Amino acid sequence: MGPSIIDVFVQYWPIFLKGTLGTLHFAFIAVSLGSVLGTLVAFVRLSKNRFFSTLAGVYADVLRGTPLLVQMYIAYFFIPIVIPALNRVDKEIFVLISLILNSSAYVSEIIRGGINSVDIGQSEAARSLGLSASHTMTKVILPQAIKNILPALANEYIAMIKETSMAGSFMLYELMYTRTILANKYLSWQPLLIIAAIYLMLTLVLTSLVKKMEERFAVSD
Amino acid sequence: MTRKILIETKDLKKDFKDLQVLKGISQTISQGEVVCIIGPSGGGKSTFLRCLNMLEVPSSGEVWFEGEKLDPEHTDIDRHRQKIGMVFQQFNVFPHLTVMENITLAPILEKKMSKEEAEAKAMELLERVGLQDKVNEYPRKLSGGQKQRLAIVRAMAMDPDVMLFDEPTSALDPEMVKGVLEVIRKLADSGMTCVIVTHEMGFAREVADRILFIDEGIVVEEGTPEEIFDHPINPRTKEFLSQVL
Repeated sequence: MGPSIIDVFVQYWPIFLKGTLGTLHFAFIAVSLGSVLGTLVAFVRLSKNRFFSTLAGVYADVLRGTPLLVQMYIAYFFIPIVIPALNRVDKEIFVLISLILNSSAYVSEIIRGGINSVDIGQSEAARSLGLSASHTMTKVILPQAIKNILPALANEYIAMIKETSMAGSFMLYELMYTRTILANKYLSWQPLLIIAAIYLMLTLVLTSLVKKMEERFAVSD
Repeated sequence: MTRKILIETKDLKKDFKDLQVLKGISQTISQGEVVCIIGPSGGGKSTFLRCLNMLEVPSSGEVWFEGEKLDPEHTDIDRHRQKIGMVFQQFNVFPHLTVMENITLAPILEKKMSKEEAEAKAMELLERVGLQDKVNEYPRKLSGGQKQRLAIVRAMAMDPDVMLFDEPTSALDPEMVKGVLEVIRKLADSGMTCVIVTHEMGFAREVADRILFIDEGIVVEEGTPEEIFDHPINPRTKEFLSQVL
């Protein structure tokens, strides 16, 4: 059996802490940069240009319809072959990019859904007043869409916390990577249970925060 | 007396997929005229009205406003829409903005009016419809009738040359209808050009210079309120009026 869970945690907690911070960090980068890109994708998707709109739809479908792990492998092994100049770049960056792209696809759907959730009468009223299309979007639609979008984005962050665990296979220092480190010290099952407990704590705490946010928004209706 | 033509439609047609909703309507609306549009649901009244500011893009035909052809793809459409106020059945007030912000949003953004000027004007308009003490409220605190009066004021704040009303009282509780109609009547009496789609026959009769009876995508009959309500000629008009009066 080896040492107990508690012994392992007491001895190696700095490693777990570093892993947890890494997880939060990578998830944050993925979702925030993914949000920027995803917003762009959402607007292209909603645009009147058929070609670009379809293209954005395909982008979202492909990234949501294939496993993230497969995307990571492709990013890690395939991109450097196609673009040899990137061989000198730290390969971790490709894994991070695949996280960002994956997140952008989900975020684009969140934003598109949020915008579509605003009653069509709102944009009709705004346009009938002579508001430009961009003012209608920024002053009327988005401020109303945001209360649907923000909780969904927070949930995307929570989902991404779990997804980043796959990045550990590519030597990104996040929570799951601590398993690899401690396996070298002949610890097999203890780190896994600790890791699972930490993931569970993170998601439970964050989920309850999102619930509070949703309730807050509901009051303003 | 010939009055200036404000809006002219030429053989306006609109299809929704296989359904032809407008089958060719040619009408002129003159400055100061109050036109009420009546007719059965699904006959094309609202679609016709919504074509006048290109919220609905006609499948064929043209709409001319103040001597210019409206083109929904051209950025000029925003400039024209600023002159064409519209009031909706469902009010469509902006729930995330206060009463004051609802009114001043478009004047400040699109007419580059100063905040002070826009607010002074909004206050004046609010007093006219009796909403001055609601100025800092959000729309969720307003009744349906108050929301609709706010929507009218919001449109008026752009200084439009014509007001379009799309069944403005159909979504209201009965006790709210009178107050809203009163506001519209005052507007009409002040010389504002109005095009009103309505099911309120008594109101249409009192306020209109001209009635259009629209059914199955065409203007079946038109005339003064007396002609339409007292001496309708077309059998469809007669049948419709016998059902609603």
